[in-house]
Amino acid sequence: MIPLRTPSAGHEIPRTSRFCRNAVVATSLVLVGVTLSSCGSPVAISSGVIRAVGAENQYANVLAQIGGRYVSVRAIVSNPNTDPHTFEVSTRVAQLISTAQLVVQNGVGYDAFMNQLESASPSSSRDVIEVQTLEGLSNNTENPHLWYKPSTMPRVARAIAVDLTKLQPGHARYFATRLSAFSKSVNSLTVAVATFKKKYEGVRVATTEPVADYLLQALGLVNVTPFRFQADVMNGIDPSPEDIAFQQGLLTHRKVRVFLYNEQVSSPVTVSLQSLAKSSGVPIVAVYETMPTPGYDYQSWMLAEIAALTRALSTSRSTVRI
Amino acid sequence: MHWLLEPGLFTNDSVRTAFLLGAMVSLVSAVVGVFTVLRAQSFAGHALTDVAMAGGAGASLAGVAPLLGFLGGGVLGAGAMDAIGVLRVKGRDIATGVVLGAATGLAALFLFLVASSSAATGSTQLILFGSVFTVEASTLPYVAGLSALVLTALVFIRRPLLLSSLSSELAAVRGVRLRWVGGAFMIMLAVSVGLSSIVIGSILSTALLIGPPASALKMSSHVTKAVSIAVGLGIAATWLGIVFAYDSYYWLPAHRGLPVSFFVVFVVVIEFSFANLAYRFHARRVAPTTSARVNVEPVGGR
Repeated sequence: MIPLRTPSAGHEIPRTSRFCRNAVVATSLVLVGVTLSSCGSPVAISSGVIRAVGAENQYANVLAQIGGRYVSVRAIVSNPNTDPHTFEVSTRVAQLISTAQLVVQNGVGYDAFMNQLESASPSSSRDVIEVQTLEGLSNNTENPHLWYKPSTMPRVARAIAVDLTKLQPGHARYFATRLSAFSKSVNSLTVAVATFKKKYEGVRVATTEPVADYLLQALGLVNVTPFRFQADVMNGIDPSPEDIAFQQGLLTHRKVRVFLYNEQVSSPVTVSLQSLAKSSGVPIVAVYETMPTPGYDYQSWMLAEIAALTRALSTSRSTVRI
Repeated sequence: MHWLLEPGLFTNDSVRTAFLLGAMVSLVSAVVGVFTVLRAQSFAGHALTDVAMAGGAGASLAGVAPLLGFLGGGVLGAGAMDAIGVLRVKGRDIATGVVLGAATGLAALFLFLVASSSAATGSTQLILFGSVFTVEASTLPYVAGLSALVLTALVFIRRPLLLSSLSSELAAVRGVRLRWVGGAFMIMLAVSVGLSSIVIGSILSTALLIGPPASALKMSSHVTKAVSIAVGLGIAATWLGIVFAYDSYYWLPAHRGLPVSFFVVFVVVIEFSFANLAYRFHARRVAPTTSARVNVEPVGGR
């Protein structure tokens, strides 16, 4: 929990609207001289740590990688045993967001609760990076799991660096160095994707849920599960018996070489398909909505997924838990 | 026939399991339902569905089979209602209502916890509205066993049950232990509700419990006849519901299959409307009828 900083006793805070009070609390932490002329209250000086929030822990991880010692990052959705699609907001989350200076969220309805909480505590000094906007995607985008697209995170990292520099221009060099370190380590991911694609392009796989679809696309794999089925599982509705039978056929007749299983979105249908894959000898690879912790950062998580896919294709070994 | 029976209907494993489950569940629901309607305990039946819902949600949270939760919840609820005094006509609705409210509250809590602390998806749909196409074939033997148990027990207590349903005073005079008979029936009702919950969901299981028997009792006042008509109507409703749900995949270009529970309840309502129409038409032709005639078999004196 981040201690809530209140302006020192010497300062008179006029009893203005909630908007003004929240704005004062939030701005009091900003080193750059953002003045709120409309509220006309004094701006307190505080220590140099930027309060940042990542709606999902993979975004929080990149925030921390770029911000280093000048940010204190909190992740909202990070429990690897829950389904983020059904996340329920608590007052703790509302408090984190009301005092955050930089927020990174996914968008495409995946974390719509963020928009609600942000409009519940408006603040002119809060920067919000929405990945959907950054990628120029419409609200009708079918697959919201944008972080699995290898090109997404480098763009997010650059946007984070820009915003952090805006918040603390004095540390511009520091953020730039960390950004280039991040970009360098992402390069190894790009290389892994290209190597994989060269070897396995066109291989057919099946999935339970669209979580890793963008990565599969980048890897050149062909996901033969109908998107309708994946979307039904994602949205918590029953897939049609026709689609279930189609999926079963893919596994029993071994028409696919890997079965990707979303560990965080399970239902009786996905569980029975998982055991069918096992008994049919189709290797299973576990994929996740949020970054599995501890032990992973965003890049090593993606590399681990690619390694698991490689293992499944080269030695038919399952990775039930990465 | 292609318009009614779309390709793959009889080779699809999910559909085969659904047909078998549907038949057994409709059978039990119809038989238990006739007595429920005769005893005017429809509201108690509905309350039990809410308790079953809480049980199902609890099972989802604990990660055990939903059937176990539906049954456990229903039987506990039946016990609670019996203890509060559901058998006395006076205050019966209040006891039922209190249990119903408490159970729904618990269901809300459990479903919240499922959503916020587990990877399970679609639990709300499964528990409230049923997911018959996702039931594992390995559940069938349990459903068959429980169905047989309820039906056997019902055959055993049919005479005192029927008599106490029609006139509790007369039954008491004849030496029927009302409390025992009523309690036993509540448990059968709970099991029946639990079984139908896995087909059309806990909220809708009242429809299968009350709908076909109510239609049947409009068509015949003879109990045995009414039971057989109710069984026929119940099985017709679930099977047609399953066929329509399967076919609905081909109705829309997006191949969006529609839920089974909707179609089952739809057929139940159509059946009731027709039964009601037929009853009115018949009543007008046969001149002033007396109130429903029910053949009462003699009860073994004790």
